[in-house]
Amino acid sequence: MERSNYILRKIVFSVGTLIAVLVFNFFLFRILPGDPVKLIIHSPRMTREAQERIRANFGLDKSVWFDVERLREGDVLGAFDSQFTTYMRNLLRGDLGISFATRKDVTELLAERVWRTVVLVLGGNVIAIVLGMAIGLIAAWRRGTRLDAAILLWGLFSWALPTFFLGIILLILARGHLPVGGMATPGLRPEDGLTYWLDVGKHLILPTLTMAIVYTSEYILIMRSSVMEVLTEDYILTAKAKGLSTLRVLRDHALKNAMLPMVTMIALTFGYTVGGAIQVETVFSWPGIGRLMYEAVQKRDYPVLQGSFLLLAVSVIAANLLADLLYTVLDPRVKAE
Amino acid sequence: MKRTWLHTSWTVVIITTILLTACGPQPTPAPTEPPPPPAEATPAPTEVPPTPTPVPIAEEPVTLRAGTTYIWDTANPTFGWYGYALRYLIYDTLVEEAGISNFVPGLAESWEVSDDGLVWTFKIREGVTFHDGTPCTAEDVAWSLNWTIENEIETFSFYLVNFEEIVALDPTTLQVTLSDPVGNMDYLLMYVWILPRSVWEGMTYDEIMEFEDLAAGIGTGPYKLVEWVEGEYLILEANENYWRGAPAIDRVVWQEYATEDAMVQALLAGEIDVADDIPRTAIPTLQGAENVEVPIMKSTVIDELIINSHENGTQPASLNDPAVRLAIAYAIDKQQIVNVAFLGHGEPASVIIPTSMGDWHNSDVQDIPFNPAEGNRILDEAGYVDTDGDGIREDKDGNPLEYRLYAEDDATETRILEIISDGLAQISISAPPTPMDEDSLIGLYPDFDFDLILWGWSLDPDPDFAMLIFTCDQREEGGWNDSGYCDEEFEEMYRQQAITVDHEARRELIWQMQEKLFNERPYIMLVYEKYVQAYRSDRFTGFGLEAGDIRWKSALLPARPVQ
Repeated sequence: MERSNYILRKIVFSVGTLIAVLVFNFFLFRILPGDPVKLIIHSPRMTREAQERIRANFGLDKSVWFDVERLREGDVLGAFDSQFTTYMRNLLRGDLGISFATRKDVTELLAERVWRTVVLVLGGNVIAIVLGMAIGLIAAWRRGTRLDAAILLWGLFSWALPTFFLGIILLILARGHLPVGGMATPGLRPEDGLTYWLDVGKHLILPTLTMAIVYTSEYILIMRSSVMEVLTEDYILTAKAKGLSTLRVLRDHALKNAMLPMVTMIALTFGYTVGGAIQVETVFSWPGIGRLMYEAVQKRDYPVLQGSFLLLAVSVIAANLLADLLYTVLDPRVKAE
Repeated sequence: MKRTWLHTSWTVVIITTILLTACGPQPTPAPTEPPPPPAEATPAPTEVPPTPTPVPIAEEPVTLRAGTTYIWDTANPTFGWYGYALRYLIYDTLVEEAGISNFVPGLAESWEVSDDGLVWTFKIREGVTFHDGTPCTAEDVAWSLNWTIENEIETFSFYLVNFEEIVALDPTTLQVTLSDPVGNMDYLLMYVWILPRSVWEGMTYDEIMEFEDLAAGIGTGPYKLVEWVEGEYLILEANENYWRGAPAIDRVVWQEYATEDAMVQALLAGEIDVADDIPRTAIPTLQGAENVEVPIMKSTVIDELIINSHENGTQPASLNDPAVRLAIAYAIDKQQIVNVAFLGHGEPASVIIPTSMGDWHNSDVQDIPFNPAEGNRILDEAGYVDTDGDGIREDKDGNPLEYRLYAEDDATETRILEIISDGLAQISISAPPTPMDEDSLIGLYPDFDFDLILWGWSLDPDPDFAMLIFTCDQREEGGWNDSGYCDEEFEEMYRQQAITVDHEARRELIWQMQEKLFNERPYIMLVYEKYVQAYRSDRFTGFGLEAGDIRWKSALLPARPVQ
């Protein structure tokens, strides 16, 4: 009873957050100074009529929020025909609009790119989680030793490394051995089978490695401190006193209880999967969501920005919800709080 | 996120260790050879029977790989604004640009104009065909131009505003009748691509705008569009039937890099053969590298200090005083700006038209030298003295000479801002540097709510646009006049130059206009920028570098692979 209450409350809260994000997302970009049409029109000589036509084409001729003029004229329905209602209506239909720059459907643009980012971030994260947990565990077990100090130093150091800087250094070091950027050698296509996928794999090594190095340090630090905390508990002493092997103490008693902060960390990281790769994708010219956003900012492509922000928000909210739900499984104490 | 900076060499050591331990003994040799030829993917032109597929090339095709930070937004030329160099390899125009402001015949072999400047007759080349095999005669050119005007094609119809009637007199003669004479026909026509009737005829405006097919890339140019993968690469293949003869390079691959730094690395690694828009900081590295040439070329990019000249602007009255403007000009160290902000790659600028634009640049105007002492003398003489002893001059009414100095917040602009601010301090004018983001900066223009703004333009190769931005009409919302300058005499000169067909007479007018602007100073010109590119000299040679852009048609066509 209490547990289902908890779950329900979390879901309601997530949906509420999502709605708030949807509304906020719309106004966020309208607050920015400057006329988006001016950014679409590149030619100084374009006639006013042509400018108006473009404005109408993108629905920017309508009022932003509410048309007071039309309400005064008695056209109540027309007054609600604004950019905001159009945006919400289209959203409900899954239509994220048309890119200002390429006039392509934003939903299609995102769909095409999202899996590339997911592959990159998942790859980097899985490596980081496995390595980070293992190294963090060793450090905690050997706390106070030189090994622990070295691991801690490395963890703090690599955590502090700016992602783009690490990426560029790796890129320079691997120059000539691994491709500098892109997803595949021009001309190769999925139809080419293994050759293509091996080529993509080669292009993936550097960005994945960069992500893995940066994330591993975070996992090491969290893992080390939470395991260390658990190791001071009385039940660990009991387990040791029972004569259990080190491996069993760590695996059955320490690890399981130290997982809560790790789950939070992993969920948060996965939440940022979609947007978290902006720097890595930019350094390695990986054509994913992160680079799409980077370019959309440069070109002030508002529909694309809006769409990617939405995707980002949804994934963060979903990951948090998932973490909340996982807590109830991992730790029965989490319920009513 | 919290990130700290650490000593670089230490970082490198640690990362090297990581890399070696993490990668183990790997680095597999990466392919530095040209990519394998993709399967033939001829765009399916609507209804038109496909051209007989080119004879399969037995040997490895000569492939040039070009790096860029952005290929283009769309294959559709009717609203695409990026990838100009690339589009000019695909499409032809009646007139071409071989170097900055150097116009040469394209699809039109020659042309002549009636005495009243209203009737232009063009001799169109014979035997030209589009990539889909359909012919391109004077009739087809006429159709393309008329279609452009009728559909108000976004990217280039406005170059044809004065065109009243366009007819083909016979398959090689095109006659254009204008409503008013134009002084820059060659320049106007170099922007208007000739598109095939076989692809575009019968489409509505919306259909034209939504046309995404690769067939949108059918033209008469030296290269055919074969494949485009958004955000990754684009492949062009030589047009064997090109009217100048088949190009020496069989295939051009455009590879997109998200950052300039990655592109520079790719060039050093030999993954690409040419790269455009090299960051100035990378020049020494590239110049020191083996087999890399770094041509540094003139460009039409200019930087200027805008002085708010609008009669209803919010600038202090003192800023409207010619003496104050002259003193400011004396206080700006342009050479230092070139040295510090542009790392020496640029020219101190005098008038609005840069030296790259040949005889349009008024070389008679003597620039104001950097001389704060002279600036101080002028201000003293004009009665601006520091009456309250705070180190800043006041005008007669006691208002201090304090100006708002804005610029975009990137590294180059911020450096220029500092130099200008320091210079003004030397003549006791206070102008603290205020960098801000581009949107906020643009937001200030409509109300002319600023004093000084650091800004720049990439000018068209004809002087018309540079002069247009000082005309009164352009001050309206949506216009391009950012200084607020409006002058009756200048207006008349602008109207006159637009309809003056004789080059020498028009040049004379353009020179007068430059001098007038120089003396009244809505802008104080700062720098004529240079354009930096690089190529692998072990792979290709013979680029036509006077084009200004190494990937431009006239730069690429003479290029040959190194044997």
